[in-house]
Amino acid sequence: MNNMSKPRSATPTDAIRASLKKRYARERRFQWYGRLAVLTGFVFLFILLADIVSKGTPAFTQHYIKVSVDLDPATLGLPAEPSREQLYSADYLGAIKAGLRAMFPDVSGRKEKQQLYRLLSMGAEYNLRDKVLDDPRLIGHSSEFWLRAHAEAGSYLKGQIPAGSPEADRKVKDLQIAWLDQLRAEGRTESRFNTTFFTQGDSREPEMAGIRVALYGSFFTLVVTFLIAFPIGVSAAVYLEEFAPRNRLTDLIEININNLAAVPSIVFGLLGLAVFINFFELPRSAPLVGGIVLSLMTLPTIIITSRAAIQAVSPSIRQAALGVGASKLQTVVHHVLPVAMPGILTGSIIGMAQALGESAPLLMIGMVAFIMEVPGGVTDPATVLPVQIFLWADSPERGFTEKTSAAIMVLMGFLILMNAFAIFLRRRFERK
Amino acid sequence: MLVTEADYLLAAGEKKMKSSESKGAAATREVGNKRSLDIREHVEQDDYRTIGSPFVDDAKMTARNVNVFYDEKQAITNVSLDIGRNEVIAMIGPSGCGKSTFLRTLNRMNDIIPSCRVQGEFALDGEDIYGEEQDTVLLRARVGMVFQKPNPFPKSIYENVAYGPRIHGLAHNKSEMDEIVEDSLRRASLFEEVKEQLDKPGTGLSGGQQQRLCIARAIAVSPEVILMDEPCSALDPIATARIEELIDELKENYTIAIVTHSMQQAARVSQRTAYFHMGKLIEVGDTKQIFTMPAHQLTENYITGRFG
Repeated sequence: MNNMSKPRSATPTDAIRASLKKRYARERRFQWYGRLAVLTGFVFLFILLADIVSKGTPAFTQHYIKVSVDLDPATLGLPAEPSREQLYSADYLGAIKAGLRAMFPDVSGRKEKQQLYRLLSMGAEYNLRDKVLDDPRLIGHSSEFWLRAHAEAGSYLKGQIPAGSPEADRKVKDLQIAWLDQLRAEGRTESRFNTTFFTQGDSREPEMAGIRVALYGSFFTLVVTFLIAFPIGVSAAVYLEEFAPRNRLTDLIEININNLAAVPSIVFGLLGLAVFINFFELPRSAPLVGGIVLSLMTLPTIIITSRAAIQAVSPSIRQAALGVGASKLQTVVHHVLPVAMPGILTGSIIGMAQALGESAPLLMIGMVAFIMEVPGGVTDPATVLPVQIFLWADSPERGFTEKTSAAIMVLMGFLILMNAFAIFLRRRFERK
Repeated sequence: MLVTEADYLLAAGEKKMKSSESKGAAATREVGNKRSLDIREHVEQDDYRTIGSPFVDDAKMTARNVNVFYDEKQAITNVSLDIGRNEVIAMIGPSGCGKSTFLRTLNRMNDIIPSCRVQGEFALDGEDIYGEEQDTVLLRARVGMVFQKPNPFPKSIYENVAYGPRIHGLAHNKSEMDEIVEDSLRRASLFEEVKEQLDKPGTGLSGGQQQRLCIARAIAVSPEVILMDEPCSALDPIATARIEELIDELKENYTIAIVTHSMQQAARVSQRTAYFHMGKLIEVGDTKQIFTMPAHQLTENYITGRFG
């Protein structure tokens, strides 16, 4: 009919029909690539989570060994009518050692005895002391106490030591394993939920180490970060988007904000060290300084996402508000911000999640310190979860391996809670 | 009443067709054509003078020698126009002719466009609109606006209407506010439809209801002038008819300037009509006169659909 159509496909309809199969095949292929990508992501996520959870779960249990201890005032070195201070500083370790020796009378020799004592944690004597302080009438009697097992002994009781491994490769020696087996057979071992992990600060002994200092530190740090970064970030975004004139200066500011978002976080740590600690002499290792430093890091993220969210608000709403005589500020506060708020919250939560996982800048301002005291406020020394994870991951003891994974689980739980709260807030704004 | 005016317009069109045959009418038309052709040449020049009657005795708003620029592009050239008290003035013309831009200069809505520059003298009751002392918040409370696309706030119906009175402090307590809201919704003839769902979001209403809600929102602050920028362009004919009835009722108390693409609508609702073309105000006059005996060739071309 005309020269344009090729002889094979007489009409355009035929040409289209001929190409359909190819087009659909391409679409199906593309969909399969997508599914494959999603699946790969899920597999990796699953492997990661499974690894962390399987490694971290044992850290939430702690083994205790039942020991019969004779609280004889003579062994404890106590007078007839002991004061509270004397009770506090009595020789409980001696009593515990005596109790252990009584349970295994055939142990002799310095080395073996040392091994026997090492079945129990260094913290066992404090356990015992606290129990006695609670009830001083225990003095003078012989009673059964559940005492905290040493991390290595606990590790064996949790089944983490493979059977048949050479003795030189493990810290739990064959003798100790024999004793532990005997104790277990006698029903003198018990696994309990590890409250210490949530109530104590860091420790050199894995079985005594807890996450509380880091948890509180992270919480205080993030509160400071949020209180500084959110209002400043949102105000800056509102000003730049709604009020500022478009000129060279504001262009320059915009470019700088975008660049700041890409600055390596450790630089902010150096800045914090130089400005807040050396110049303003704020306390070292404190969540206050950590929060300020992290807020500097988070600000660009919040500003950029907030500006995008404000920009996305339909101009018709602004016109409507201005049309009934609202001032510019009223328009922004009453109409633009509520509509933009879900987006602003999403951006803020991304920034806060970044801040929560950040450790490098905090190392610079001393939040890497070994701290046992739970901080009571933003100026007390503290550490944060990622730094704690870093510290524990660095420790050679087997007990800290599981603690590391457990701390990661806590960190993820923290993150999930934070996100859940943000989603809750966002829903509330969206419903209005 | 609406029907008669529509008939009027149709009749006018027929009359035009026949008039070319009738000798006497043809003669007057000849004169008209000649004059408008002369003026047509003038349109290209900046000193074009609007024909018809741009000025009225009892003007609510006046605009003199208005020029509006978007960056370097001139959107309005030397327009002078009065808006009479308690009248409905319709502004018609092809897209991009500057009618909406002109409307928005009247309550300074162009201020929010950074590239927009406005020259000329504007007055509301003799008071300079662009003067130093003029407050845009007060101005926009006195000169309300209804937009092309219904744009209720994403809040409840009640809040939509109550927002203006609230920020201006017009109601002193809850019952006064309830009264204002009910009264405004009634005047926008929306109250009966929504009285059971005042706490439901305004965005959940139909398009026509949303636009009436926007009108209720505009009249809730008791403005003196209402500017309407193609208020029915997104609505179906039934909703349009309701809005038009509403405009007819509102003109008792308000001065209304309406921009529209529908010539039937202009003919039905307005007393005066202004025809804009390429940023110039070509012709202003009595609506009946504009639609039956347009003086300018461009106006005639546009209203008879011969344009473009």
